[in-house]
Amino acid sequence: MTDRPPFKTAGLLKKLMSDYYAGGNRAREKGIPLVWVTAVFPVEIVYAAGLFPYYPENFGALAAARKLAHVLSVRAEARGYSFDLCGYARCGIGDSCAGEHPAGEIERPDMVFCCNTQCGSLPKWFQSAARFYGVPYFLLDSPMIEGASTTLGRDYFVAQLKEMIDFIEISTGRAFDFGRLAEVMALSTETCRLWNEILDTAALRPAPFGFFDACFHMAPIVTMRGTREAVWYYRELKKELESRMAGKIHAVPGERHKIYWDHIPVWPKLRWFSEYFSGRGALVAASQYTHSWTYSFDTSRPLESLAENYTGAYINRSFEQRVQMKINFINRYGLDGFVLFSNRSCKPNSFGLYDKQKVISRRTGLPGVVIEGDMSDLRFFSEEQVKQRLDVFIEQLEKGGETQDKKQGGGIVWK
Amino acid sequence: MPGGTEEKEFKSIAEEIMGKIRRSLEDPAGYMRRRKSERRQKVVGWLLTDIPEELIHAAGALPFGITGGREEHSRSDAHLQNWACSMARSCLDMGLQGKLSFLDGLLIPHICDTTRNLGGIWRHARPLAMMENYLLPRQTRPSAKTYLVGELGRLKARLERCTGSEITAGKLSESISLYNWNRRLLRKLFGLHGEKPGLLSNRAIYDIIKSSLFIPKEEHNELLQELIDHLTGETAGDGRNTGHVRLALSGKVCDPPEIMDALDACGAVVVADDLATGQRYISAEAPETGDPIEALAQRQLSRIPCACFDTGETDRRRFLTDLIKASGAAGLIFLHLKYCEPENFDYPDMRAAVEAAGIPCLRLETDIGGVSQGQLETRLQAFVEMIKGGTDVDRPAAL
Ligand code: SF4
Ligand code: SF4
Repeated sequence: MTDRPPFKTAGLLKKLMSDYYAGGNRAREKGIPLVWVTAVFPVEIVYAAGLFPYYPENFGALAAARKLAHVLSVRAEARGYSFDLCGYARCGIGDSCAGEHPAGEIERPDMVFCCNTQCGSLPKWFQSAARFYGVPYFLLDSPMIEGASTTLGRDYFVAQLKEMIDFIEISTGRAFDFGRLAEVMALSTETCRLWNEILDTAALRPAPFGFFDACFHMAPIVTMRGTREAVWYYRELKKELESRMAGKIHAVPGERHKIYWDHIPVWPKLRWFSEYFSGRGALVAASQYTHSWTYSFDTSRPLESLAENYTGAYINRSFEQRVQMKINFINRYGLDGFVLFSNRSCKPNSFGLYDKQKVISRRTGLPGVVIEGDMSDLRFFSEEQVKQRLDVFIEQLEKGGETQDKKQGGGIVWK
Repeated sequence: MPGGTEEKEFKSIAEEIMGKIRRSLEDPAGYMRRRKSERRQKVVGWLLTDIPEELIHAAGALPFGITGGREEHSRSDAHLQNWACSMARSCLDMGLQGKLSFLDGLLIPHICDTTRNLGGIWRHARPLAMMENYLLPRQTRPSAKTYLVGELGRLKARLERCTGSEITAGKLSESISLYNWNRRLLRKLFGLHGEKPGLLSNRAIYDIIKSSLFIPKEEHNELLQELIDHLTGETAGDGRNTGHVRLALSGKVCDPPEIMDALDACGAVVVADDLATGQRYISAEAPETGDPIEALAQRQLSRIPCACFDTGETDRRRFLTDLIKASGAAGLIFLHLKYCEPENFDYPDMRAAVEAAGIPCLRLETDIGGVSQGQLETRLQAFVEMIKGGTDVDRPAAL
């Protein structure tokens, strides 16, 4: 992010997101229910039902990026919540119960919807929020997928989607519109397709776009997939990337290495990490995190297709599959090494990383490192310690030679 | 009142049974290894909580509920962050030490983000012949029942392959009856312990429950029956006017077990709990009529609330305050394993609800395999003294 002109779309993004938040206020004025949803949630149903979806995780990430996580967390801690809990939850709970809102105010929900594909923290946080606000809570339960997805698991999820639609119909007093659902799902598929094309430009050597850019531009794919605005936004971003490529504006000037990052960034240190890597000619090219939104829906069998896409998220898979997915990124993007972030906030992503590092290194022959810290709370982050580990890693990368002469991006074609 | 010789006899028989139970608890893995070779049966281990052991039993194997070891668990450092709960770290450590290599299988329920990952790590670090995650539903709407019946069917097939023996409906029904009988006996003993404090110490009753997670049920039932026969005649420590402070516990396990000794020492009697090695285990009977797999599903979906599941209308806060009132407990102790995320999320609201009902609370954060015992004792003692001073001791149950 240094030494290069800023993205013009950044301005559009700002406007888009402030319109989105204003939409929440408008919805409230019109009596449209505002519902909390999780990042990996079939939000297409919520949009199709004409409800307003709100993402508390996003609130957590924003508060963390503004270096306010510990301020909010301390308030949650004062109410008895442990600082060992997920940082997003601590931010959310801390803001809900406080009179002051240094990071902007988390929205009060009319209903709370949660899907546990990602983790077990969200259901606990959302349930406690439902108690706090005195509103209904609905959990979509997504059993782990350990090999191929099974009929049993899919049918279970579909049955729950029907229960949820029933729940929405009763709350809104309106019949659910499946025609509208198909439209929303098509828009969502298109948004995901564009987003992934954009992410794939990171495979080019040198690349115009990387993980830290993706962290910046990801808000619409999380919150607005299923809307025309999101499609429009990523078309604009793609156009801008094309012109940056033509103008030879690269994400990391003098790019020499490409690496994989797992998983969420350290939000309050985004800039520090970005500068650390670019200063050493390394582009963080891919992360499972920003690749979470890769849905492709079949609108002829909408509920089954939603079930397949949402239960199949990487985080809901077995150890072996998750290792293989990381290796696939390494191969697809032609990467030279990997950094695994043992994130104190996020147990589902962090437990298992010690062994995964060894397996991935053994199978790919590439250097890798595990760093310890927290994605949001600087009380659990030691810059010195992290830098020490990364320095060793970078040394190994350098020893591995300059860019390995790989085919550009191991087979990704930029359209 | 029993005469001198009778009393002696009672003491010796009860002590003999308790001695057996205590010895088995010193090293449950060693105990199970011996039983395996004696009985020439396969052994399938399982981690807390809610594994349908009846399926393991009906497949002709011995179920072994693993609740961690007593040693340090530093071997797990290389595989699992030290901010994972000590339950997971300790069980994994036993595996890494080779203490569980005699197992023919291991079942891990997916109840939190730690158990979600544990099987994969374990399988990678020290594989066993059969390792299976039990993917039970985390909600209780009608959709959960159909799914759970399917998931139990999957588990049944895996266990059949592991033992090479078919689980017929008949065998499964028999296992269900056997396990129900065990739970009934345990509840009876628990009731006796609450009614006649001193007859069975806190340590003893929770040791008995813990041992039921692995001592073969046929034998455990005999031990319990014998114990009950001897205790029911007893009038020692009769009634509620013994000066004991009645307490309830909430959490997952009571570990280290010396916590119970400390409670015994300061004159407290535990009359209710929602522990996975307590009421959650002993209250969960499966119906003995109809299809046995359906019965197991039914049982699972009607268990008492805990932090790992969304129990819909059955609010855990209300459940707990009702439980405390019904049992006549004068205080509640939260026993939480450090880093247990589900409990950490439930705790503030639960505490607020219980305190709002006028019940004093204490929270102890515990670690499997070690604590500074003295500090725990002091806190427990202070809490019990506070209740003794402030409230009506042994207030009768508001039944
Ligand atoms: S950061 Fe991890 S634990 Fe927290 S909400 Fe996201 S997936 Fe769940
Ligand atoms: S003690 Fe808590 S965190 Fe640990 S395995 Fe059990 S439920 Fe999960």
